Amino acid sequence: MKKYLTATTLALCFATAAQAEGQLNLYVWTDSISPAVIEKFAKEYDVKVNVDGYTSNEDLLTKLQAGSSGYDIATPSQHFLRVMIDEGLVENYGANKLKAYENIEARWRNQWWDEKQEHSIPIAYGTAGFVVNTTQYKGPTDSFKYFFEPDGELKGKIAMLSYPDEVIGAAQLYLGIPFCTEDQAEMKKVLDLLMAQKPSVAVYSSDNIASRLASGEVAAHFWWDGEEVKARTKGSPFALAMTKEGMVGWLDSMVIPKGAPNRDNAIKFIEFMSQPENATEQMNFYAHSSPMKLVQEKVVYKKENAPELYPEVPIVFSRTCSPAAQDLVTRVWTQLLQ
Amino acid sequence: MTDSVLHATAEAGRAPRVRFWHDPSFWGLLPSRLLMGFALILPIFIIAAVSVATRGAHGGFAWDFNLAGYRQILFNEGWTGELEFTPQYLLIIVRTFLLAGATTLICLLFAVPVAYFISRQPPGRKAALIYLVTLPFWASMILRVYAWMIILGKDGTLPRLLEYLGLPSGMSLMFNDGATLTAMVYTAMPLMVLPVFASIEKLDGTLIEASHDLYGSRWVTLRRVILPLTAPGIVAGAILVFVPSLGAVLEPSLMGGGKQMMMGTLIQLQFGGGRNWPFGAAIAITLMALVMGFLIFAALRAARREAAL
Repeated sequence: MKKYLTATTLALCFATAAQAEGQLNLYVWTDSISPAVIEKFAKEYDVKVNVDGYTSNEDLLTKLQAGSSGYDIATPSQHFLRVMIDEGLVENYGANKLKAYENIEARWRNQWWDEKQEHSIPIAYGTAGFVVNTTQYKGPTDSFKYFFEPDGELKGKIAMLSYPDEVIGAAQLYLGIPFCTEDQAEMKKVLDLLMAQKPSVAVYSSDNIASRLASGEVAAHFWWDGEEVKARTKGSPFALAMTKEGMVGWLDSMVIPKGAPNRDNAIKFIEFMSQPENATEQMNFYAHSSPMKLVQEKVVYKKENAPELYPEVPIVFSRTCSPAAQDLVTRVWTQLLQ
Repeated sequence: MTDSVLHATAEAGRAPRVRFWHDPSFWGLLPSRLLMGFALILPIFIIAAVSVATRGAHGGFAWDFNLAGYRQILFNEGWTGELEFTPQYLLIIVRTFLLAGATTLICLLFAVPVAYFISRQPPGRKAALIYLVTLPFWASMILRVYAWMIILGKDGTLPRLLEYLGLPSGMSLMFNDGATLTAMVYTAMPLMVLPVFASIEKLDGTLIEASHDLYGSRWVTLRRVILPLTAPGIVAGAILVFVPSLGAVLEPSLMGGGKQMMMGTLIQLQFGGGRNWPFGAAIAITLMALVMGFLIFAALRAARREAAL
């Protein structure tokens, strides 16, 4: 009896590490991949797909740096993808020789985050900005001014993310400071702005955003375009602010972490996700824009019903900061919350 | 503790000298020793080693000796680019200790009467009450914190009740230190009640009677008889509550709104967004050293007091 117990316990402990044939371990943004598409893939290729989620690029980077994560696919944003390529954390799987490469819309190919497009195939892109609950706040939203220097209705009703990444970027857009600046004086201005905003901020959190905003616990939340579109088209009273200073852009790509146990299945999955049919279904689930060629007549979120996905304000993509610039970002964040 | 040591020496005296590998207890205990070594001691050494390593450009580290992580706790580049004394991390450390201390104190204030009450119940009811105290442990910690978010949040149970009593409506009691403390006290409470209960139950009722017979007032009885006799349980409970509270991440970020960092969140930031693993490890080691110092100090004081008695 005891022997069986021990054996079972051991088996359970190491079950996640099992590298049996026909497995695929995804480590992707929480709730970002359509379960229906995953199921279709699992059936078609007879592969057992395990999905794990993260809510920040930092979590992903830390996990990959710690080594042997056991994951086969991850979806970092562009500025983190660059770091992962430079640090040798992801495989060169010859992405530009895959069929998937042909399906990428031309303007998203061979960008600075993966010039030769050897390590990644994009899966989604979008913007980050602030979203208001329109039953709580009826004022203007065409500038970051109302978010970073609020008065009246938004005072004490603002929520920021718990990570500095895109929030600092938005503050830099508002102040007209370049991303990843190494100029201390400029970053001091960012800190001053955020410090002045702090009394109006109710919470710094990246979890549970939809329910916090819908319940009216806060009236404005830093968020992503697709999440807002998804909630709004389901009836939540949300509006994404189209800020004239611009919005922070991001693009997530599928990569294969170094030493992935099921590399072949990972490539099959990337090819599968990039077929127009599946890419369309994935976009209809995720509600973020797709950088792939789609089946246009099946796209749910079009310009008429989801103008958030087709912004007319400038979009500035987050960049990969030098360590010195990154330290300034961390310093601003630490002093803000010290 | 002392009991087993005495026992061991007695045994060693009786039996002729044996090599330790002839001793079956050595092999019996081996798995637990290995487990402790690999799962507890080794990771601490790894963290200590990382804390004196050199940070990588984008996180990670290289095995080059470097004390920058520790220096950074006190001295950092200021906004003018010069190295200057920065009290921000000390502030975070002090805040964390205050919060953990407040949690411990409030837990103690609630736990002693509760434990006393339970210990004076008939056996059947006693078991049932103890079972109820441990009941929250059956639910996941994150669930318990979310429960408090529902109670205190906008249109939550408590704001509704206050509204009913005539206070302004639409109040949210979330995102402040009080909310953080409430959740922390709630999650830690059973850890305090159980050891206190164990020592109060062993309390000999006749000693209290004796104290009264000798004209000890209620206050004197409490201070001179009950408290000293239950001190071991209270100290054990205080340590069980205080130490984990120092590392709290969930309550400050979910209930407190993450507006002020605690040591847990600071360490998390360094391993994540800050991409400075050695610094994160240095803070973790510092936190551990402070706790160890605190515990050793408490243990020495307790030993001295025992010797004086």
